[in-house]
Amino acid sequence: MSTILTHIAIADGKIKRSSLEVLSHCKQLADQGGHSVEAVVVDSNASSFVEGIQKYGASKVYVVEDPIFKNHMNTPLLKALVKVMESANPSVFAFASTESTKDILGALAANQNAAVLPDVSSFELMDGGVKAKRPVMAAKIISNTQAKGDTVLVSVRSGSYDLAENETSAEVVNVDFCMEDSELQAILKEIISASGDTIDLNEAESIVAAGRGVKDEEGQKLISELAQVLNAGIGASRALTEAGIYDPSLQIGQTGKVVSPQLYIAVGISGAIQHVAGMANSKVIVAINKDPDAPIFEISDYGIVGDLYKVLPPFIEELKKIKN
Amino acid sequence: MKFYVCIKMVPDVNAPLQIKDGQLIQDADRQILNAYDASAVEEALVLKEKHGGEVEVVCIGSAKASETIRKALAMGADKATHIVASGDENFDSGSYARILAKFFEDKEYDVLSLGKQAQDTDAGLTGSMVAAMLSLPYTTNAVGLKAQDGKLIVKRQGDTGQEMIELPTPCAVTCSNDMNEPRIPNLKGIMASKRKPMEQVELSSLDLSEDELTASTTVLGYEEKPEREAGKKFEGEADEIAREVAQLLDTEANVI
Repeated sequence: MSTILTHIAIADGKIKRSSLEVLSHCKQLADQGGHSVEAVVVDSNASSFVEGIQKYGASKVYVVEDPIFKNHMNTPLLKALVKVMESANPSVFAFASTESTKDILGALAANQNAAVLPDVSSFELMDGGVKAKRPVMAAKIISNTQAKGDTVLVSVRSGSYDLAENETSAEVVNVDFCMEDSELQAILKEIISASGDTIDLNEAESIVAAGRGVKDEEGQKLISELAQVLNAGIGASRALTEAGIYDPSLQIGQTGKVVSPQLYIAVGISGAIQHVAGMANSKVIVAINKDPDAPIFEISDYGIVGDLYKVLPPFIEELKKIKN
Repeated sequence: MKFYVCIKMVPDVNAPLQIKDGQLIQDADRQILNAYDASAVEEALVLKEKHGGEVEVVCIGSAKASETIRKALAMGADKATHIVASGDENFDSGSYARILAKFFEDKEYDVLSLGKQAQDTDAGLTGSMVAAMLSLPYTTNAVGLKAQDGKLIVKRQGDTGQEMIELPTPCAVTCSNDMNEPRIPNLKGIMASKRKPMEQVELSSLDLSEDELTASTTVLGYEEKPEREAGKKFEGEADEIAREVAQLLDTEANVI
């Protein structure tokens, strides 16, 4: 029997849904193979999340709590994870593939001499390692990759697995942690922009994404109204984040966020491969574009050929009616 | 500031891809400088133009990679090191990182920079691996760099916002291609690149064991992505089709 360890990421005082998706999958793998599944939460307020984690079947929860984790910096997180790995001795350590994960995954693998499979869309255990599917070449194709080693780190794209509740009474292990300021290699000076009250795109059930067709304030207002009706996150194509119309953290695509919500509404987006690489795994795709030959229609479940300024008002109105 | 920028030659992801018997067939003529690395080169050049210093590129690759290296030199890098490999090796991020860490262990520099990922594998591991191996302060996914009082100020894109991180030098940073538009080499640059020094280092001279070069991950094969089929397309009166699709999202797709 070996241990599958899962990292539970916290953002804005909440457990990231994508980490619970990974934990749900790991619980299933553990049950199938007779392994144990454990979780680790690192946060300035880590212990408050234990209950939420227990619902998803971890038999042990490592809690690393220290004010230093208030600001994300890679050095303290790495130190905490190394410490937990030494206790848990996992054969597999699974993460949700977030920007914070990307910041530390390679360093943790190098530090622990572990094999690592980043940004997978699915994975399973095999003798002596892990087998995974990874979108590569701008997510145009899938590579089947295996990793062998005593420890394999895996990061999983959000939306790859469904949540599955599985209440257990996990043993809680509080891990002593202490770090001097002098050990901090990188200093966080400030967080200069945050999407604040907008919804984290990695976690959103629905996303409304704006592209080049959204030309002015009126267009942006329509995007906001549509997002509000659907309780959706707002995303944007590179053209609009580069133009400074939307915050860079909202960019969806190969360079920006890779998302897989239940519903993705692409408004005025033509569907360049770089954008498609970031959203093609959405469950249902709706495209609104006045060019009937826009490539986005080739991957859309529902394609509306029309001017977004004429289509969105009645669309929003109808959705409001349905919602009520 | 002395910059080392690690660059990689990658297949052009915009070229048509073919899979035959699980293997990826690529057009050998369409190998390009990784776009994220080009941004790292550009940013280093901008800082050099502002504060002085030197930009050297380092590339691990087959003999063919010298074309990619010339591109970076034509952009304006001062010199280059080509760590010559046969091109048939099965390197993964860990192998590349160990080669780079070995190469840099006795070098002096202020900033070691790389693209945040390579366009072919999209792994994004090498930068933080090299940093860990060399015990360098580092950060990833930079969207802006500034040099200030001998330190590197990095604007990085985090999950929900942008963070300003101060790194003492020497440090490592990985760059997003959101930070700039890499310059296109002009004729003068292309001509000048031919006279710039390109040192060749044989991989075997780096004193790495077979074990250190061996990849812990193996690509077993490639497969087509399950195609998304085009669904229904609605054309006509905006009012009508908008209402119809809204209804279908509720009754058919069940996502409202």
